[in-house]
Amino acid sequence: MALDRSAGRLARCIRCTRHERTLPIRTFTTTAPSRLETQETQASSEPPPPPAGATTDAPKPRLRDPNTVSTRAAEQQLIQHQRITPVGSRRRRAAIASTSNIPFSELPYQCFQEARAVLQADRKQKLEHIRVQRERIERFKAKDVAPQDEAHKEKKVADMRRRLEEQKILADINDPVVKRKFEDGEGDLNKPIYRLLADRQWRSYRRTLLLQRITQMNVVPDVLPAIDPVVSTALSFAGKRVQHGDFVDSRMSELAPSLQIQPYDKGKRLYTVVVVNPDVPNVQKDAFDYRCHFLASNIEISPTDTRVRLGLLGEEGQVILPWLPAYGQKGAPYQRMSMFVLEQAKSEGGGEFQTIDVAAVKAGGKYTQRHGFNLRSFVDKHLLKPVGVDLFRTKWDEGTAGVMQRAGIVGWDVEFKRKRVEPLPYKRMDSVRYR
Amino acid sequence: MAISPLSSSARVARAPSTATLSFLSSALRDLRVSPPAVSSFAQSRNASHQAQGRANGAKDGAGKRLGAKKTGGEYVIPGNILFKQRGTHWFPGDHAFMGRDHTIHAGVPGYVRYYRDPDRHPKRKYIGIVFEKDQILPQPAHAVRRRRLGMLAYQMPTTASEELTDDLVATDSPTTISALPNTIGLQSTTAISTTPPTANSAAAKAIRRSSRIMEGLGVTLRPGYQYRQPNHEIGQAAERKEAAAQAKGKTSRAYDEYKPGDRFAAWRKSGVRIARNNERRAMGRGKKGKK
Repeated sequence: MALDRSAGRLARCIRCTRHERTLPIRTFTTTAPSRLETQETQASSEPPPPPAGATTDAPKPRLRDPNTVSTRAAEQQLIQHQRITPVGSRRRRAAIASTSNIPFSELPYQCFQEARAVLQADRKQKLEHIRVQRERIERFKAKDVAPQDEAHKEKKVADMRRRLEEQKILADINDPVVKRKFEDGEGDLNKPIYRLLADRQWRSYRRTLLLQRITQMNVVPDVLPAIDPVVSTALSFAGKRVQHGDFVDSRMSELAPSLQIQPYDKGKRLYTVVVVNPDVPNVQKDAFDYRCHFLASNIEISPTDTRVRLGLLGEEGQVILPWLPAYGQKGAPYQRMSMFVLEQAKSEGGGEFQTIDVAAVKAGGKYTQRHGFNLRSFVDKHLLKPVGVDLFRTKWDEGTAGVMQRAGIVGWDVEFKRKRVEPLPYKRMDSVRYR
Repeated sequence: MAISPLSSSARVARAPSTATLSFLSSALRDLRVSPPAVSSFAQSRNASHQAQGRANGAKDGAGKRLGAKKTGGEYVIPGNILFKQRGTHWFPGDHAFMGRDHTIHAGVPGYVRYYRDPDRHPKRKYIGIVFEKDQILPQPAHAVRRRRLGMLAYQMPTTASEELTDDLVATDSPTTISALPNTIGLQSTTAISTTPPTANSAAAKAIRRSSRIMEGLGVTLRPGYQYRQPNHEIGQAAERKEAAAQAKGKTSRAYDEYKPGDRFAAWRKSGVRIARNNERRAMGRGKKGKK
């Protein structure tokens, strides 16, 4: 088919997100990618002997370095044969390949080394500040205060902690190695500096785009009154990324998606994920209803543990309403499937996140009704805080009838047509003159 | 004008007469750079002004019938014109839309509201539609939008697939359309295969079988939804006709089979062609033959 032929060319472009990706995009990691390690060991030692069945005539693929490949063909070979994504931009890789690989500390540029010395002195100073701040916090916490001043003391400790975090960032923000690692996608999100850089990157474009989508498509205020997203979300159906607000084929959205929730502040937390469709046509009311397509609570997320497979969550402790395929009946306007990430409330002391009693919610019955699900009420009842949002859209397509039949949803043979609006009378009935 | 008599008199080599001298002096006076000290009258242009036509801008054109066409609270239906304007004095609010020339139209049946919405824009004036008489605009911030479905649900017709299958001969071929894509029957019958048939698949076998069945016609569904013979079949049509004629001991060719390098055959063929052309010319089609 012509589509398959052209797909090969598309697959070459690794930045293109419209097609199925053979490899995941290089994202933030805590350790070096395992493939990379094996590749390095192979390169240093002898290449492994070919398997017994393989013919020796076939040309062996050349081992490529993901840091220096700079041609399309070489990149393709690296992806196909070694299953490694190239590091950074092509321009950067070409620059690395064409220059001698001297570490920063030995580069023969006097000005550069002077600048590094300044930065290192500054970093040393910041580290000293951090040490002093830590000691101050410890001393202050050990101090006894009157019971009426307890709140004041806690507030002051929190302030000192915040200043400490700021200093941790200031210590690293000017480090060229940090910048380079972040740009190579090797930043460790356990460290505050990389979390800050990732957050800045997200806010520079993708968050703005998300906000535009949810405001233009009126997810806010139709589903929730307002939202200030602080975690980024990435939605994918069967490994295919879906941009915020994109139309998804009903056959693709038949199975539950996987959601990547990336927080930019430290620590583990519990989230509730809910998918609400605010565009369910209701002919009796001549209006639209809400329908909940998915509801699960107590999902643990941390900056390095971000992926949630909505179909594989725990039946007892997490899922309240399992995934219902997204569908829109024929002729009906497109339906917005809005996904919200809600942060669960903290306990009284302010430390631990509270779990939602899933069994009690199921027994209550109010929020196990998919039709007419009121997210505003659910959020208020469980003291949830909306922190993330995502959106995709669905409409009638050739697979919708099958999807609805397989899911046992009635109404697959219903078609919506516009209601006739009676025209105004040509002349006013009760007046003498028309004008 | 003044120069030509001067030059003609200058060519004469006799003593100038008094008339000629006076003429010369007057001519020289004309050539003087500085104007004479005393002028008999001051030269000036007369006032002239285009008094008629559109030169000074049309002061009194026809009215363009702009302005509000529906008052606040009036019932309107979709497409009704609410306000005609030059530029955007008013903006479309809830359930209203702006037309090509900034005209505000109603998008839903309802009642007209003229309002301002400082949350949306501090200066703009909006025209919107509400569904009930007592509703007001703008809605409070963060409130759920008021929307109407404006549609009715109908049972989808499911008989279309049977009607269509009756007309077609080979229903098992995947290249034939067994159902319209938007009709819904049983899942097994309406599934239209989207993957290309491989060499050993049942679909590919069905294609080969169907092509054998329709050998005489050779018509299949080609790319671009064309029912026709494939190009290679069309190209082989002459050869096939000749083979059939040969089997009967005849030939379908006007000439013998072309052999490269057979100059004698070519000479005979050209002779036949020249004779036929001469004959055609002798028939005298129009003036071309006579000339």
